[in-house]
Amino acid sequence: MVAYTFQWHVVPESAGALAHGLKLTLQLSAISFVLSLVLGLVVALCRLAPSRPLRALAYTYTQVFRALSLYVYVLFIYFGISAVFGINLGTFAAGVVALTLLNSAYMAEIYRAAIQSVDHGQREAALALGLGHTRTFSSVTFPQAGRVAVPGLVNQLVDIVKDSSIVAVIGLLDLMGTTIQLVSTERAPFELYTATAVAYIVLILAISAAAALLERRLARHVRGGGSGPSPLERMQRYRFGGRVPT
Amino acid sequence: MTNVLAYEFAWGPVLDRWDLFLLGAWLDVWVTAISFVLACALGIGIAVLRLSGVRLLSAPAFAYVQILRGVPLLVFLYWVYFGVAIVIGLNFSPVQAGIVALTLTGSAYTAEIFRGGLQALDAGQAEASRSLGLSRTGTYRHVLLPQTLRIVIPPLGNVFIGLLKGATLLSIIAVSDMVSVANDLNINFFTPFEAFTAVAVILVALVAVFSAGVTVLERVLRLP
Repeated sequence: MVAYTFQWHVVPESAGALAHGLKLTLQLSAISFVLSLVLGLVVALCRLAPSRPLRALAYTYTQVFRALSLYVYVLFIYFGISAVFGINLGTFAAGVVALTLLNSAYMAEIYRAAIQSVDHGQREAALALGLGHTRTFSSVTFPQAGRVAVPGLVNQLVDIVKDSSIVAVIGLLDLMGTTIQLVSTERAPFELYTATAVAYIVLILAISAAAALLERRLARHVRGGGSGPSPLERMQRYRFGGRVPT
Repeated sequence: MTNVLAYEFAWGPVLDRWDLFLLGAWLDVWVTAISFVLACALGIGIAVLRLSGVRLLSAPAFAYVQILRGVPLLVFLYWVYFGVAIVIGLNFSPVQAGIVALTLTGSAYTAEIFRGGLQALDAGQAEASRSLGLSRTGTYRHVLLPQTLRIVIPPLGNVFIGLLKGATLLSIIAVSDMVSVANDLNINFFTPFEAFTAVAVILVALVAVFSAGVTVLERVLRLP
């Protein structure tokens, strides 16, 4: 067995390129996160709409779009859709579309569960007081539902950041893409992939910590707040948001 | 009618190779199944360590979960297949590297699920069986785990489906699964839309079947 000589000096030497890749990862994740927040809400509203075909369409959207992996999305959009419509989507744009479609389907389910958790009486009372449907939603239902949804939605950002690494496969030079490129020239796969893994871990722990802080702050304003969900409730929550990001 | 799209759809190459797609899908399924079983075994061990009450055991178990949940599967896959392999001088086959990466990633999630399942039980359950004279192991085997099992089935089903979606990444390190069949078709016939649609349809169908399976399992095991 040949003893391996570690070449950790490669990592600080590549810091500049990796930082540039990290910036792209953050941009890709942030744009996809914001777009998913908007699209997810639209889909959730369609799922709760009075129109039956609209509900069925939104239901199909959440079921089908959650079933695909980001890798399949990326291949399908970057190669398939581009070829059919003769448009040349860049790798960044393809990544944004893929991440948005997948995560909006997850977010729609988080929004829906949150909206349904608001007591019926709230809506009925608002309507009885003469507020219109739009006003009832924007001033009464949504502010309360939002508080319930926020922790789940922020946790979705964790999945987006992790999933965004897959866009490297089609050649985007994000954190992962830059690492793959560096490995081919520097020939230090263990050191470079370890460094990238650590960078992702730090990023994800930071987002998780922010999500936990936000959850605690928001819980203060909810009745009986502060205690959070019971362990059993926490388990049952997996039915909605639970997923293993790839 | 004039054709608006310049693209000529050609489903022939895909339909002619339906058996290759199914073989590829089968590979994804059994790689997932093996990784899932290993991830569950590892996850139970880590959950028990975390709830052991001994700081020397629970702290590393906590760190394990936090760290492994922060690594994207693709990074893990490359790390194992290219990085670790060189360092320890071991040549993983692509499938082996895939199973290692999927198992370790999955174990961080199953550990949290088993921990949640054990914590969801009333503390009186453990206390009662201990005071009835059951050993610590006996308490787990006969009282706690059978109840936990029923609580954890739906979230574990989620993990299984997540791992199945993760397994589609394996074609990147040259595992000949269904995505690699589609990639080959795309290169040889330039039918990206048809090839990747086939993969998407198979994946949606598999996820639907496994979701239904989890629901059935849950109903069968439900206590009267």
